Amino acid sequence: MSDPEAQLQVTYAEAIRCALQDAMDADPAIVLLGQDIAAGFPFGATRELAARYGAERVRDTPISEAASMGCAVGAAMTGTRTVVEVDFAGFLLLGLDQLVNNAAKLRYMSGGQLRVPLLVRVGQGPLGAFAAQHSQSQHAWLASVPGLALCAPSDPQDAYELLRWGLRRQDPVVFAEDMRLYRARGELVREPADSAAEIPRARVVRPGRDASAVCFGFGRTLALAAAQALAGEGVELEVLDLRLLAPLDGEAIARSARHTGRVLCLGDDPLLGGITATLAATVHEQAPGARVGRLGARHWPTPFGSAEAYVYPSAESVASAVRRLLGAPGEGAGEEIVNGEFRMAAS
Amino acid sequence: MNAAPIGGAPTPAELYARMALIRDFERAAYRAYERNELQGTIHASIGQEGVAVGVVAALRAADKLLSHHRGHGHALAKGVDPSRLMAELFGRVDGVCGGKGGSMHITDVGCGFLGSLAVVGSSIPLALGVALSAQRAGEETVCAVFFGDGGVGQGVLYESMNLAAIWRLPVLFVCENNAYAITTPAAHTTAGPGIEERARAFGLAALRVDGQDVEQVAGATRTLAAQARAGQPGLLECLTYRFLGHSRSDPPHGRYRSREEVERWQGRDPLAVLAAQAELSAEACAQLEAAAQARVQEAVEFARASPRPDLHVLAQDVWG
Repeated sequence: MSDPEAQLQVTYAEAIRCALQDAMDADPAIVLLGQDIAAGFPFGATRELAARYGAERVRDTPISEAASMGCAVGAAMTGTRTVVEVDFAGFLLLGLDQLVNNAAKLRYMSGGQLRVPLLVRVGQGPLGAFAAQHSQSQHAWLASVPGLALCAPSDPQDAYELLRWGLRRQDPVVFAEDMRLYRARGELVREPADSAAEIPRARVVRPGRDASAVCFGFGRTLALAAAQALAGEGVELEVLDLRLLAPLDGEAIARSARHTGRVLCLGDDPLLGGITATLAATVHEQAPGARVGRLGARHWPTPFGSAEAYVYPSAESVASAVRRLLGAPGEGAGEEIVNGEFRMAAS
Repeated sequence: MNAAPIGGAPTPAELYARMALIRDFERAAYRAYERNELQGTIHASIGQEGVAVGVVAALRAADKLLSHHRGHGHALAKGVDPSRLMAELFGRVDGVCGGKGGSMHITDVGCGFLGSLAVVGSSIPLALGVALSAQRAGEETVCAVFFGDGGVGQGVLYESMNLAAIWRLPVLFVCENNAYAITTPAAHTTAGPGIEERARAFGLAALRVDGQDVEQVAGATRTLAAQARAGQPGLLECLTYRFLGHSRSDPPHGRYRSREEVERWQGRDPLAVLAAQAELSAEACAQLEAAAQARVQEAVEFARASPRPDLHVLAQDVWG
């Protein structure tokens, strides 16, 4: 392993590779499974790992998501820590029986006899012109499955840290990689192998006093860009990066909500049943009185091409939603702002 | 008391005794269900005991087993303690899974019984991973996974046979073909010559046997397990029949099976077939059956005496 103090400028995909490599160096029980992973196709997150660890630990699979996921579950419950790469959200559905019915439940159903240290890396969100099946956001679905942890890292350092945490955990983790971030660059400090196994907490990545943006994944990039624009208008937006969606750091959400009194819940799935519904409910329950807005995707399949910009939040729509949160309270208590439009909150 | 797995070189009497234990266990569970002592549903394997006992008899104690919703017999063959198994069916804290799994989700890691799972076909790919761990560790253990003729309809079976073959995994796929997926005859849902031939197409070693003949099942398993240990995965198809309905709510005959058909298969009772082949006397058989009944009665009493899991136990094994 390289000098843990070394700071590198790396992409999100490279940070994932660094985390896999550092974890695989430390733990010979780790095996990777996935399609085209030896070649590192398509995002390069596993490039060079086959050369370093061989085909026995970096295993290309057939296009058989159910068998690959099931194999990973069976291996994980018998001492092989497995990492499954699923390139796109749409493909995850083919392995979902194994993930949801088996990986997530075996520990509980067996009365604790079985543990399933499986980590599933899966692309989430829009990629740009890949249209409705490749570009999906499944955060609320996955977060609602008892027995699964759900990570949604927001930059290279976060991806590295959360992946190292996930690879020390004894239970299944879904690692939701926002595809818009793969080429994003940032500094990376690699950690020693013996770091603590505590559940990572949400982080205030920009403090502010006027409103909070509760976000994760690419949402953090949008929220920070919106915060910069709003700062020019004299508005200080606090940005809370959740990092994990299951378990959810409700305390951190409540703390930020009490601090600013206005909270924008930012996600990539549709508002109906989406993760922002849970975030907004958390604010309502744990910081009553705070004004809450939600910004998520339109309830559409992702359209082809640049039209996807109509569906997903942008820095501009985040800033606009925050301005509305700060504006005149309209009809008063119980009001909720949904994708920039004022509506009455369901009570 | 932990029963040993049936294995090594069991005598006909030992094979008979284990089949009798399964038979009486299933009957007792059924009766408990009828008395409302047992919640949910129950899938009895009466009539199919020769498959469970024959397969496990030919495996080693260190070999692993995965099963399906009709899995009590497999568990008992592998050595799961009948009392703790019955307590699990009763949903009691002394059950093998603390009463949280129930009849369709049985695991006893100490016995190498890694799990019966209730989604048809879902346990099949787990066998690949169990075998992969064994292969990586240099252990010469086989993982056998049971599924029914209903499971033959699941695509994951074919993905799994393919992966087992290309990675040379020590897996034995065991198809318990009891001719019906609940009410649907296998002939209505299975194109072509059948699962044995499909397995051969993937490069697996494959055999089809009379599942009512425990010694035939054991013999074929021995052959295929030896090949699997050497990196040649295999499939064993056992032709069998469940003497009862699919589950508690399904009668043995009258809806989709004729009385004549059920009675014809009952004439091929695996216990009677073995007794005739091995020339076990009626007296010897009666003694073995009485011992099984006593053991099962003990199991029922153990289960009744055990409390239900409290909230503390129910909340365990979720996080942390």
